[in-house]
Amino acid sequence: MDARKASKKRKAVTRDVEGEAGVFSGDELSGENLDGALSDNNNDLSESEEEDSDSEIELIDDFSDEDDEDEEEELDSDEIPSDTEPVATKKTLKSTPTDNEPNFRIVKDANGNERYLYDEINPDDNSDYSDVEENANTIGDIPLTFYDQYPHIGYDINGKRIMRPAKGEALDALLDSIEIPKGWTGLTDPSTGKPLELSQEELELLKKVQMNESTIDGYNPYEPLVESFSSQLEIMPLSAAPEPKRRFVPSKHEAKRVMKIVKAIREGRILPYRPPEEREEKDEDIINYDLWADEAERPDHIMHIPAPKLPPPGYEESYHPPPEYLPDKKERKEWEQTDPEDREKEFLPNDFGSLRRVPGYENFVQEKFERCLDLYLAPRVRRSKLNIDPESLLPKLPSPEELKPFPTTCATVFRGHKGRVRSLNVDPTGIWLATGGDDGTVRVWEILTGRQLWSVKLSDEDAVNVVRWRPGKDAIILAAAAGDDLFLAVPPMIADPEMEKASLDIIDAGWGYAASNPPPSAAEANKKNTPPQWIRPSSELADAGVCVVIPLRYIPKSISWHRRGDYFVTVCSGASTPASVAIAIHTVSKHLTQYPFRRRLKGGGPPQTAHFHPSKPILFVANQRSIRGYDLSRQLLVKIVQPGARWISSFDIHPTSSTASGGDNIIVGSYDRRLLWHDLDLSQRPYKTLRYHRKAIRAVKFHPGGRYPLFADASDDGSLQIFHGSVTGDMLSNASIVPLKVLKGHKITGELGVLDIDWHPKEAWCVSAGADGTCRLWM
Amino acid sequence: MSGDQESSAAEAVQRQVRVQLTTQQEDIALPESTGPILVPTGLRRYALSTLVNNLLGSEKPVPFEFLINGTFLRTSIDEYLTDNGISAETTLEIEYVRALIPPLHIASFQHDDWVSATDVLSSTSHAASWASGATFSKGQERILSGSYDGLLRIWNMSSQTIATSPAASEGGHTASIKAAKFVSPNQIASAGLDRTVRLWKYTEDDEFVGKITPQLELYGHKSGIESLAVHAPSNRLLTGSSDHNVGFWSTKKADAPAAPENLLPNTARTSKRRKLNTSVSTPQRGPLALLSAHTGPVSAAIFDAKDSTVGYSASWDHSLRTWDLVTAALVDTRTTSHSLLSLEHLPEHSLLAAGTSARHITLIDPRASATTVAAMTLRGHTNAVVSLARDPSSTYGLISGSHDGTCRIWDIRSTKNDKEGVVGESVYSIARKSLEEEGKVDSKRVGGEGVKVFSVCWDQTIGIVSAGEDKRIQINRGEGVLSSNKE
Repeated sequence: MDARKASKKRKAVTRDVEGEAGVFSGDELSGENLDGALSDNNNDLSESEEEDSDSEIELIDDFSDEDDEDEEEELDSDEIPSDTEPVATKKTLKSTPTDNEPNFRIVKDANGNERYLYDEINPDDNSDYSDVEENANTIGDIPLTFYDQYPHIGYDINGKRIMRPAKGEALDALLDSIEIPKGWTGLTDPSTGKPLELSQEELELLKKVQMNESTIDGYNPYEPLVESFSSQLEIMPLSAAPEPKRRFVPSKHEAKRVMKIVKAIREGRILPYRPPEEREEKDEDIINYDLWADEAERPDHIMHIPAPKLPPPGYEESYHPPPEYLPDKKERKEWEQTDPEDREKEFLPNDFGSLRRVPGYENFVQEKFERCLDLYLAPRVRRSKLNIDPESLLPKLPSPEELKPFPTTCATVFRGHKGRVRSLNVDPTGIWLATGGDDGTVRVWEILTGRQLWSVKLSDEDAVNVVRWRPGKDAIILAAAAGDDLFLAVPPMIADPEMEKASLDIIDAGWGYAASNPPPSAAEANKKNTPPQWIRPSSELADAGVCVVIPLRYIPKSISWHRRGDYFVTVCSGASTPASVAIAIHTVSKHLTQYPFRRRLKGGGPPQTAHFHPSKPILFVANQRSIRGYDLSRQLLVKIVQPGARWISSFDIHPTSSTASGGDNIIVGSYDRRLLWHDLDLSQRPYKTLRYHRKAIRAVKFHPGGRYPLFADASDDGSLQIFHGSVTGDMLSNASIVPLKVLKGHKITGELGVLDIDWHPKEAWCVSAGADGTCRLWM
Repeated sequence: MSGDQESSAAEAVQRQVRVQLTTQQEDIALPESTGPILVPTGLRRYALSTLVNNLLGSEKPVPFEFLINGTFLRTSIDEYLTDNGISAETTLEIEYVRALIPPLHIASFQHDDWVSATDVLSSTSHAASWASGATFSKGQERILSGSYDGLLRIWNMSSQTIATSPAASEGGHTASIKAAKFVSPNQIASAGLDRTVRLWKYTEDDEFVGKITPQLELYGHKSGIESLAVHAPSNRLLTGSSDHNVGFWSTKKADAPAAPENLLPNTARTSKRRKLNTSVSTPQRGPLALLSAHTGPVSAAIFDAKDSTVGYSASWDHSLRTWDLVTAALVDTRTTSHSLLSLEHLPEHSLLAAGTSARHITLIDPRASATTVAAMTLRGHTNAVVSLARDPSSTYGLISGSHDGTCRIWDIRSTKNDKEGVVGESVYSIARKSLEEEGKVDSKRVGGEGVKVFSVCWDQTIGIVSAGEDKRIQINRGEGVLSSNKE
């Protein structure tokens, strides 16, 4: 701080005694500490001559010496606010002398004015103004030589001269020095004012100092060296003591930075802690729950699945498995080629010879990654790998081979009809096949060879819509519908004369019955729902074998015989047919036609087809959407079947229905491509819906007689489909339905494929009528 | 792999087996001195055939077939040994027979309608052999055909119609003929859909003009007659009909009972229908017995080839029945799983061959001791097998006619074991010439449409005669077979 000033002052002080420096210093060697002695020396010098001026410096020096560490600390801390400290000390200084007394006196000066005479300021040792010593020379920084010619050497603070010391004593001193006593120094002890004499010990001490020897007695400068600290770097420290704090070298840079921060804190630029935010008020709005605050240990969930326990590793997982566990080339290749998902085991046994040759697991990262994915994406579920053959998941259907016989190939093609063959039927003996087609002819064929045996042209314009043999082996009667008319015919030369006669007798028996009833009057005949009269055919037709004609006035599309062969039902499904005459039941023995239904069947358009129940007196009538069963004896509606099809084309009743071997089963074919199996005991709704055809299903048929559990359907896509549908005797098990075979062969002609289908009564053969003008026998 | 094959083939060539070649035909027998010879096991039929021809020193090579333990060699000897587990060290007994020559088409006789039945009359035919004392000269072979138009026709070998049976109005069949047979060189039996069996007298004025005159009408069946079998020495006929009955008839007017009245024509509908006036009145007779046990149409009825008192019948009801004709009693019933449509007896092997609707031929042992129903199955046809005939020159041979339009020749030694038992394969297949003429050899007719074979007959002299839906009688003959038999 004022170091320069101080040094200058020191100079000024020491100038005077320059020439006697050596002696001067020797004079002072009374202190134990060499350093302290030296510094004292200065002080003493200044004290003697310029006490006032030197006091400040002395103070500061002392201060610095005494409080070595304190000062350092202070230095650090005071770096930045260096100005403030002295101010503070000044204040304290000023405050000390105030004893509530004015520190001045008022006197009159020469002019009579008031003059304030202040007290001499007597600062204490700590005062900065310690220079206010009475006898301090105040000449300033000028050479003392300027005062050589004056008796004084300067002025004190009060302007009084400081007189030069007397010189006469110096002569005396010289004289005294002639007889130099032991320890004479020629110096005056400033404290006593007597000549300073040094003792023998002191002289020896000085001599040692001069000789640069140690002043301590018995000090051996050549003691053996203990190499506590040598140039050699030791590996281990000799001492485990921690580094002492004193070795710490404080960084000035850091101190500077710290002071900067401190300053900033003081000025308020840096806040040492965060001021409390004003959140408390808001927090009351948001309620924070601690979800797990009161969580207690709970038992595992019922669906908890512990991690599966892995089986212990086997030989093949060894790093050095027995050779039989090692895969050969083929196995290895196979393993590599299979999809990782499908591999039976995830690794291939590998022989590394010894454990230290085992490399790192190559899939490690991959597996960890996947494991993480599993944990992240999927809950742990028991995922037993299913090594199940997909085939085994299919329902256990018997193989078609076991269900033989069923039709597989086309055995015979019946060619002869011009235009579509609309209907066909195999006779009850299974030898003859009757067909009817667009050309208006009914033909009878030998079923095996495909030889046409009989043909009759029933109508020139209208197509033969349906042909049906009368059931029963006692007679051979064929019912056919062409245009508006129904025909009953006994084809000649097919049956033996006896049977032919029997057949004719059956038909002819009704003539008498009809004749016994009076013919209806003309008025009645004109009414719409008057039953038609059965009439004899024209001689031409009669020669051909036709026996009876029933003019129905509307086009019958379906004929179905009762199993006893006395009744048959016809359905005129045309939209223009009045509902009351659409369904007609004909009695052969009485030549009688009746209309059992007066009103239209509910729900779903005109009636489509009708069949008698094979054993019960029930007539099933199908309209476009439902099938109704009517008990004819009680005249009641007993059953409604709703297959869910939009337009029923045909249906058939299982031949064993309502017998010992099972309940009523019905198959329904629909124009919307569905084949539906109904178990009437089960539900109104279909038990099974089979939708295998691409186009409308025209006809469905059970194998008659129940010898073979087969049924077939015919579709406009030109194919037949054969199914196995066995009905079991007990009510508990459902019918099993197995698709067996698709029979293709009919050509699609004009969007129509197969129009009718029938089964051979005994064999597993079926016949189909195609729109391409052919019929086919499949066996 | 190819290396393996080569090496194994080389090995097979090096391997040799000792064979003893034998034959039962003297004209091709090797000299007595010929002992067992060593042959490489890699040889096949052709190489063996060449070998035998070389040993015989024959000028014109004759193809041979080789039989080991009763079955034809169809592979190399090596494979045969491997398959049957026979050591190559043993001496192999190989029998050789003349190979069947592929039957060549000889002629076709055109008809007006489908031909349903055919029979032959030649020096080697049954009818000729039965006719005691009747001399039958060569070159006078006759072929009988029954047609769907209800007419019988007699042809000579130059495709000329020698005789035609009278039309329905003149005492002929009123419906299609389904079966026709020579009873003797002078008598013909025929049956058809008119439910009658008719016996005709056949006389030849000269070589080109003959006459068929009705001799006897047999009534009894209530439905069409499907098959007819003849046994001339005992004057018996056997018929199978669609009315589920087997008819047993006598060809002698004197033996036969009177015809059942209700079955005679003209009894019903006479007023309404065109009268079947016959200008010729023929004696009408009834059956000796109607054997009824079948529940389906009887498709075939035959006599036992050795014992004429035993009859066999096959039916659509899947059964094959054995009848004792003396007492008209049912002896045995064998039920198969398919409708049977044709029947032939192989007496040497006690087997009955039955053609089925399931497109194969089942060989059935009718003896009561037989444990299995089907001894063997011959597969290859693609439609119902409706006609069967024996090979006249071999007891193992068989020919079948099927609705698929082919005749197939079978040898029951040419078999292999399948999962369904012993299965035979046809040796040759004879297609219809009509297809060939239409240029449609390769085209496959669905259900044999238009070319169905209805009847087949195999005679040693004439060859294979088959009749079918193509309105033809077709004659095929294996020239080699014929020449070999002329000794």
